Amino acid sequence: MCRWKKYKRTLLQPSRIETALRTVMTLKPKQLFRQLVSWAALLPLASTVLVAYLGTVLWSLKISFTNSRTFPSDQYVGWAQYQRLFDNDRWLLSLQNLALYGVLFVAACMVLGFLLAVFIDQKVMAEGALRTVFLYPYAMSFVATGLVWQWMLNPGNGIQQAVRQMGYPDFTFDWIIDQDMVIYTIVIATVWQASGLVMALLLAGLRGIDEEIWKAARIDGIPTWRVYVSIVLPMLSPTLITVFVLLFTAVVKVFDSVVSMTQGGPGTASEVPAKFIMEHLFGRANIALASAGSIVLLLTVLLLVLPFMLVRNRSTLARVEK
Amino acid sequence: MTGGTLAVRPPLRRPYRLRPARVGVYAFLLTAALFFLLPLYIMLVTSVKSMDEIRMGNIFAFPIQVTLEPWVTAWTSACTGVACDGIRGGFWNSVLIVIPSTVLPILLGALNGYALSFWKPRGANVLFAILMMGAFIPVQVMMYPLVRILATIGLFSSLPGIVLVHIIFSMPVMTLLFRNYYLSIPQELFKAARIDGGGFFRIFLQLMLPMSTPIIIVAAIMQVTGVWNDYILGLVFAGRDNLPMTVQLNNVINTTTGTRLYNVNMAATILTSLVPLTIYFVSGRWFVRGIAAGAVKG
Amino acid sequence: MKLKLLTLALSTGFAALAHAAGPKAEVIHWWTSGGESAAVKTFSDAYNAAGGVWVDTAISIGEQARSVAVNRIVGGNPPTAAQFNTSKQFLDLVEQGMLNNVDDVALRDGWDKFLPEPVLNVVRVKGHFYAAPVNIHMPTWFWYSKAAFKRAGIASEPRTMDELFAVLDKLKAAGLIPLAHGGQPWQESIVFTAVLANVGGADLYLKVLRDRDAKAIQGDSFKNVLLTFKRLQAYVDKAAPGRNWNDATALLITGKAGVQIMGDWTKGEFAQAKQLPGKDYGCIAGFGPKSPYIIQGDVFVFPKTTNAEAIKAQKMMAGLMLAPTTQVEFSNKKGSIPVRTDVDVSKMDVCAQQGLAIMKDKSRQLGNGEVYLNPDQNGSLSDILTAYWNKNVPVEKVQKDIASALKN
Repeated sequence: MCRWKKYKRTLLQPSRIETALRTVMTLKPKQLFRQLVSWAALLPLASTVLVAYLGTVLWSLKISFTNSRTFPSDQYVGWAQYQRLFDNDRWLLSLQNLALYGVLFVAACMVLGFLLAVFIDQKVMAEGALRTVFLYPYAMSFVATGLVWQWMLNPGNGIQQAVRQMGYPDFTFDWIIDQDMVIYTIVIATVWQASGLVMALLLAGLRGIDEEIWKAARIDGIPTWRVYVSIVLPMLSPTLITVFVLLFTAVVKVFDSVVSMTQGGPGTASEVPAKFIMEHLFGRANIALASAGSIVLLLTVLLLVLPFMLVRNRSTLARVEK
Repeated sequence: MTGGTLAVRPPLRRPYRLRPARVGVYAFLLTAALFFLLPLYIMLVTSVKSMDEIRMGNIFAFPIQVTLEPWVTAWTSACTGVACDGIRGGFWNSVLIVIPSTVLPILLGALNGYALSFWKPRGANVLFAILMMGAFIPVQVMMYPLVRILATIGLFSSLPGIVLVHIIFSMPVMTLLFRNYYLSIPQELFKAARIDGGGFFRIFLQLMLPMSTPIIIVAAIMQVTGVWNDYILGLVFAGRDNLPMTVQLNNVINTTTGTRLYNVNMAATILTSLVPLTIYFVSGRWFVRGIAAGAVKG
Repeated sequence: MKLKLLTLALSTGFAALAHAAGPKAEVIHWWTSGGESAAVKTFSDAYNAAGGVWVDTAISIGEQARSVAVNRIVGGNPPTAAQFNTSKQFLDLVEQGMLNNVDDVALRDGWDKFLPEPVLNVVRVKGHFYAAPVNIHMPTWFWYSKAAFKRAGIASEPRTMDELFAVLDKLKAAGLIPLAHGGQPWQESIVFTAVLANVGGADLYLKVLRDRDAKAIQGDSFKNVLLTFKRLQAYVDKAAPGRNWNDATALLITGKAGVQIMGDWTKGEFAQAKQLPGKDYGCIAGFGPKSPYIIQGDVFVFPKTTNAEAIKAQKMMAGLMLAPTTQVEFSNKKGSIPVRTDVDVSKMDVCAQQGLAIMKDKSRQLGNGEVYLNPDQNGSLSDILTAYWNKNVPVEKVQKDIASALKN
């Protein structure tokens, strides 16, 4: 399609840095002033980033090399905390769980959210009511809804019991007490909570697509599903990427759901890094170990996200500079 | 194109589907709705049962005897410490925290997004990248340094302090939303405004901000929900006199060795979530319709 | 007329001044549920009656309340008093010089004469008293439902560990849940503590938890303790993981389960369901005439301040909280027992009276894990135990892991 040709053209244009340098070197004083003003406007952003975010990360890094307990101490212990971290079964399991959980959660939310958005977009009756039904989980505190999920998934008096009483005595659904399956229950509950927001964002994107496309597709005789896959999805890609980033941040910080549903159990089977870090920060009075954990977590995220951010920057800018 | 048959009737937005497909659509939506509503059903049913019934353990069962007492207790007399005044105490505190913590982050996010997408000062993208990294740091890790920083500037345990903390934590998402939105507005518009003699703030206030209504609504909904339901930040940074409603809610629901009144807990949770829920319901139309004008699309 | 108004105004003014004279005390604690609230009210009422002003800052969940207290101390806005557990949780605060001591009050009231030794050793650090202990909870009571026992044909309370297993077998045969348990790490730690105390005995208990003796941990008696601990797991129903302790007690209340190993706060749940000790449920402190009484509890620490009024408030509070009448009133509502045995026990329930009687024997006073271990060690131990409870880990590995976790 001709869109690819357009993209190819933009990819071959001179890089942004070259353009920026050229612009600055030929700036007149008034333009330089404008650049300074835009920098001044970014001052809150810059200071927040540097002081709060960068500062915290550097501070955590420093603490992770000490033996601080409740309070920061200056006693340097080298890599001891990191060694302890990777000797710790709970931490290693938490990283495994995070990877498994992350993939499933993001995939399920995006698929479910997309399907919900597509189906709601079909001029259905009671659209407003349906939208509220899918969005309300996002508004509720997980402390209570997590408990409800725990009750529902409990084999004793939850869904398993209810289905058995309906006449299927062999029905089993006891993932939540199973060491290997418990992480999937967390996926179910958190997908329940987050898909509504994904649906809303994607629905918005869908509504922004020109109607002419549908007419044209109809005339060309392209089947509907093909339209969605080959035309609509690519057009939604910036929205999809925003949604993906939001979901990814939720994955890395997952905590409330684990605490209220399983308390990290059975045993330590549903442990996640954020919970490990939290517990060592306060309960175990070991901020050094917690800091080591958060640095490792951040590095992992950095390694995963960096390629994505580079791709996104280029493609979004390519679109704009067409 | 004038006077054609197309002008006689408003064209259908989508090609009309065959019967079976239509049935399929409704089937899917209704099944999904059931999945989503099941926990709410359990919460509602539990909140009108007596504790004796709840102890029997049949979570799906309809209440044998409906009682509204848990709702009244949750609002007016549930114990949250020495005081047993229910969860209503923190309502106005929450409102006082939510309003500035929504308006200011949105303004700053818009400003950042605008500067990043149109003016592109050198090195700003590095800042943006670090900011996005910040979105992945769990809140608790930043707690101690933030406490020290706020204490140093004298804002610890105060309303401005908690608002500042909310601004810091919401900056990544807000900036992301607005930056992507502005990237979808054609550069020609911006260039034309520059040629017309517009300066940084003039273009922002008179051109870009008015055009941003759709994304502002999205951002507002996300921010209101996030700040209204926030617990840990309000607990640590707001100071005793400004504690939000979530603190009372958590005091009612959570306990280590105390007795748990599940019916009151469910009622309290639903009551607390009514504010974000109302906002969804009321602005739900804008949320979607507004964005239809092209907020989040590419 | 004008004179009347003037006198009225003046007298109200003076009255207000007199009322406002009381020292203000902001107290952070985590007692937020119904029963706990009634209990802490006895303290606040006593304090207000003595002329002070109690400003309540309740934050549910101990870990959260403690972290807020620490953050506020660091942030320069400390409360007047903050709740901690009878444990090593506040040692770091002492080390950093962030707490005031209450030596005057302790000396005046003779704390070292009536406080049980484990408690005394916690609140007295390097010769100074840094915390005011307010209660003693015992986490390892054995509760049983009389209705369930009747159904299973169990005539009398078990008096030894073997009899307990026989009882559990009978309950299982009757189709009931023998041991009601909530699968959360802290609850598994409680079951372990109960087994260590009743099967291992006081000596082994202290060797493992207080002295952290590696030989004792790797030895055969401790191995036996661990195996008994794991043996109990077979009597727990499949749906136990993640369950709240209240839901496990609910099983006893509704007669679906026979026994629960839980702390004395369980009485609150029974009371909520209008069940009475001795009539609907029974309480066993331990097996054998010398079975230990495990001590855990709550204390209040007093963040450092030079404000004279705050110091006055702190001293007033420390004194009031340990007064005999306040102690009995508080513990009655809380389900705990007072920190002093020289009190009038007639108003307390049968289980509490049993507890106080045991406490009179100094050799039976043992501290809970957190009394001897610091939070990090205690947490690591809990991790190992919960893994052992839930998975098939060879017992030798468990012993090894515990030895290395408690080493540092």
